[in-house]
Amino acid sequence: MDFLPILSTLRRHRTAATLVVLEIALTCAIVSNAVFLIRERLARMDTPSGVVEEELVRVRLIGIGQTADAAALTAQDLVALRAIPGVKSVASTNQVPFGNSGWNSSVSSIPDDVSGSTTASLYMGTQDLLETWGVRLIAGRDFTPEEYVDADAKDAKVSSAIVTRALAERLFPGQSPLGRTLYLGSDPETIVGVIDELARPNDRNGPESAAYSMVLPLSISYTTGGTYLIRVEPGRGGEVLAAVDATLTKVAANRIFTHLESLTEVRDSYFRKDRSMAYLLIGVSLALLIITALGIVGLASFWVQQRTRQIGIRRALGASRGDILRYFLLENFILATMGIVVGMGLAYALNHWLMDAYAVPRLPATVLPIGAVALWLLGQLAVLAPALRAARISPAIATRSV
Amino acid sequence: MLTMKNVTKVFRTEMVETHALRELTLEVKSGEFVAVTGPSGSGKTTFLNIAGLLDDFTGGEYRLDGVEVRQLGDRARSKLRNEKIGFVFQSFNLIPDLNLFDNVDVPLRYRGFTRGERRQRIERALERVGLASRIRHFPAELSGGQQQRVAIARAIAGDPKLLLADEPTGNLDSQMAREVMQLLEELNAGGTVVVIVTHDPEIAARAQRNVHIVDGVASHLDRGPALVSPALRTA
Repeated sequence: MDFLPILSTLRRHRTAATLVVLEIALTCAIVSNAVFLIRERLARMDTPSGVVEEELVRVRLIGIGQTADAAALTAQDLVALRAIPGVKSVASTNQVPFGNSGWNSSVSSIPDDVSGSTTASLYMGTQDLLETWGVRLIAGRDFTPEEYVDADAKDAKVSSAIVTRALAERLFPGQSPLGRTLYLGSDPETIVGVIDELARPNDRNGPESAAYSMVLPLSISYTTGGTYLIRVEPGRGGEVLAAVDATLTKVAANRIFTHLESLTEVRDSYFRKDRSMAYLLIGVSLALLIITALGIVGLASFWVQQRTRQIGIRRALGASRGDILRYFLLENFILATMGIVVGMGLAYALNHWLMDAYAVPRLPATVLPIGAVALWLLGQLAVLAPALRAARISPAIATRSV
Repeated sequence: MLTMKNVTKVFRTEMVETHALRELTLEVKSGEFVAVTGPSGSGKTTFLNIAGLLDDFTGGEYRLDGVEVRQLGDRARSKLRNEKIGFVFQSFNLIPDLNLFDNVDVPLRYRGFTRGERRQRIERALERVGLASRIRHFPAELSGGQQQRVAIARAIAGDPKLLLADEPTGNLDSQMAREVMQLLEELNAGGTVVVIVTHDPEIAARAQRNVHIVDGVASHLDRGPALVSPALRTA
């Protein structure tokens, strides 16, 4: 191994070597953090909703003027929508996962809990809501028809609730939540069922509570909830959406449809900023990696040109083409390693600053070995062409006059 | 040690074909000190490149210490070159970024010697040329003659059977040249075959045998005593 002689050579070309090491270090620091942030964004975009998104479409509508009996009209709407070919199930609801605006309430296992309560998203809807969502009930039961209460009624109160597993674990850690009472302020609700997952419409209350949702058996009319959720047969979403306008207008004309869209479109729209940020970070990272690779190619090419005679001398003294190739690969490996070591320190410093300034999470230790391997590979790939050029230099160069 | 039969070397471009060596036949036996002479452009360096396995030849046969070199691949040629041949170049060809120890170490690393053996050989070689005290110095800190002595140390550290010297005194003053020639003669006396390429008749005269190349054709001459310069002879 030429390790020590290479170090000696690099010491004598300190400026160029330092510049490359710094370039690699900065790339390591920035790309490590960027990769981490990209992973965060991608993981966020993969947040499960808990519902069968690919089978769901939503209709958001607003009534014009006073509606005498909103509940009756809602019931007619649901019947009409259910009759559209391709529709499996329909419900009126107040919100959908990733729909952005949502209803929330503080919830606790004790009444009027001021300090220990948590915030949960409040889903409510007509019968068939759970079936329409396609959520997985993992314990207990769905609401009975008798439990449903008209949400528009004066002093409407319900006595049962279905909660997500995450909320149940938060309220009653390590215990069965079934039959236990939770409190919305001072209003008690008995937990009758637990569903696996149901994402909140947004995570503005923080990522840790993003899975805290509960469902109340409040039959909500379109004038209050503003949303019809339709579950369709696979692949028939477009067809059903095309028929919705005419179907509902036939029931009552004085309505405006603000959103006719599938739940996958709702998700896409909700995570648009995350996607843009991920693409931006990927672009910046790729640009940095390309610039670093070009820097390595440039310096290696310059050194090969500058050391042509030296390479010829080494060849004359017994170095094979493979020895010369290995020499340049090893030299690059040493530079890359120095850059990576400095870069890891910088990566943590940058992460620390991002944590302070933008509350990003701590950089996990797993990112750095991945970044290091990527930069080593990049360096070796970048130096390969100049190194192969060096290996082709004839040993006869050694006997040429200067 | 070195046997060439009808070796030719032709350099071809799209327009021109240059015959650098024509049917060169030469044998150098163990223990010999041979000078290869000739005017500029005669083919001396081409001969040295082929003899030193630095370049391919176009036709003929070349055996080095019993090994037919024509069919050898790069790895085998490099190994043979490393083990059998020591080079001394006109412009010393030391690596400026490495100190004397590391310079002498270059061929030994390719040879695969252990660290301890390399150290021993480097110290012995530098002691032989009188530069053991400068082991951590860099070439730029030495005079021309000292640099050439380092080059000789590098050439002999691996105990090669053949020492090829290309105008080894060309860049030296007469005193330094005398010292270098004396070293080469001592090595030859120790059993190393020395082939020296030179256009200097005084240097050639110190060899046991001269090979004169003109236009790529070799003629074999005995050494003429009249060619030996009194200055060199008394060295």
